[in-house]
Amino acid sequence: MSHKNIPLPERQRLRQKMLKKHNLANILTHWFNVASWLLLLTTGIAIISSPRLGITPLWWQETFRNIFGSDANLIRFHYTIGFIWIFVILFNVLIGFRKYFVPFAAHRMLLDRDDIEWMMTKPLQMLGFKKEKELPPQDAYNAGQKIYSYFVVVCTLGIMVTGPVMVYKSLFPPIVKQIAQPIHFVCVFTIVAWLFIHVYMGAVFPEEKEAFFSMFSGKVSAWYARAHHEKWYNEKLKEEMEWEDKVEQEVLESEKFKEENSGAD
Amino acid sequence: MPAKNHYAFVIDVTRCIDCRACLVACSVENNVPMDHTRIWVHDQGVQGIWPGLSREFVPYNCMHCDNPPCTEVCVSGATYKDAESGLVLVDQEACIGCGYCVEACPYGVRYIDQKRGVVDKCNACVQRLQVGLKPACVATCVGKSRLFGDLNDPTSEVSIALRNAKSVTKLDYEKGEVDTDPNIYYLNLQETDSIHSSDPFDQVAQTTLPRDPHYTISEQGWKKVAIPLMALAMGATFLTQAIFFTKQLLEGEKEFED
Repeated sequence: MSHKNIPLPERQRLRQKMLKKHNLANILTHWFNVASWLLLLTTGIAIISSPRLGITPLWWQETFRNIFGSDANLIRFHYTIGFIWIFVILFNVLIGFRKYFVPFAAHRMLLDRDDIEWMMTKPLQMLGFKKEKELPPQDAYNAGQKIYSYFVVVCTLGIMVTGPVMVYKSLFPPIVKQIAQPIHFVCVFTIVAWLFIHVYMGAVFPEEKEAFFSMFSGKVSAWYARAHHEKWYNEKLKEEMEWEDKVEQEVLESEKFKEENSGAD
Repeated sequence: MPAKNHYAFVIDVTRCIDCRACLVACSVENNVPMDHTRIWVHDQGVQGIWPGLSREFVPYNCMHCDNPPCTEVCVSGATYKDAESGLVLVDQEACIGCGYCVEACPYGVRYIDQKRGVVDKCNACVQRLQVGLKPACVATCVGKSRLFGDLNDPTSEVSIALRNAKSVTKLDYEKGEVDTDPNIYYLNLQETDSIHSSDPFDQVAQTTLPRDPHYTISEQGWKKVAIPLMALAMGATFLTQAIFFTKQLLEGEKEFED
């Protein structure tokens, strides 16, 4: 890959330089989501007690039922946290709709031709084929992350719709409540399946270490950005250069202004 | 684990006159909505050839089975077999009224109270049992057709009645994995293992009991499609990350060279 041919001092300089990748709103929403999911997933699994489905081991059910005192309390806790989660996520999306959500969806989530090529190459490379082939440059999020985000958005909506259906039980006919349960289950565990990859890539995989710390600081090094998200890095660079040009222009103008004024004295 | 008590109904079919006082007493005691009931009386119709004609009325309600199929399907654990009394009860605060159990019950004794959005059924008047009273239907039965008590106690009314009975019938349902072992003991019911109503005016009760437990499409889909699919997906992703993690542990971390 091209970035491996960069001379050492330049590489060190790139490592020092930090670029802002995530804004504070997204970071806080992300960690709020993590906390909610931990609470909701553990209690949610504990609720599913049908022996015919046989999903949750009995000790897990009993533990959580004993913590909360009864099944009904456990369910109440689950949907109270659930409603807080729905409210905060929707609130954040709606309040930041124009400032955060629309740019995020438009610039970071849409798939382009490079992404499709990446998706056709990367899985094969993971299986050990086509190792020599170079991956196309990626945006702020690579194609895998983009696909993941689609699953998350669709399944999150699924959870947010089916959950309240089961809480406001007198408003919905039985057939709706019957169907809502497996949909809720499928939405949750589709995300959980992706979550294994998400957590591993984000928190354990050595090459993506910076991605993990960027979820706290919001910043990644230019070196990491160049290696993993080249298109986004180039964009940032372009912005930077434009900004530099603009500053330079202003400096020149102000000097010119000074000169003119001093000439008049 | 066997329950501490083994509560059971003993119903003498020959003593039932289809007065339905039990239905009224039950509805009053348990605030059952007007368009529902927790107890039914099957009219078996006139049977036999003249002059040997007979007519049977078979009262029934929740059989509080030893192996209830309804608790097997309940997702939230709202319906459960009580460890203390051995009764099958519904925790209506945990129930969402999806009706999986209504479909699964071979005796059709559960109904959905849409106003509250929960499932309701006979609870053997636990609120009365706790203060030492008999269930409302038993207390009110004019012909002493209905008896209720603890089978673990050999001196109880039901134990004595069963010991002295000429014929005892249980409407047991046994097919495949389901073996209900109901706890309503019918005395003097004609040789049959099912009851069929021929009452032309009772549209609701026009069924043969016990029927096959019915598992809804969503429940079946959940069990047979969704769970294997999700297990596969999670297995695949977990395995993928596990392989990469082991590789990482074995080969050591390849950090970027400075």
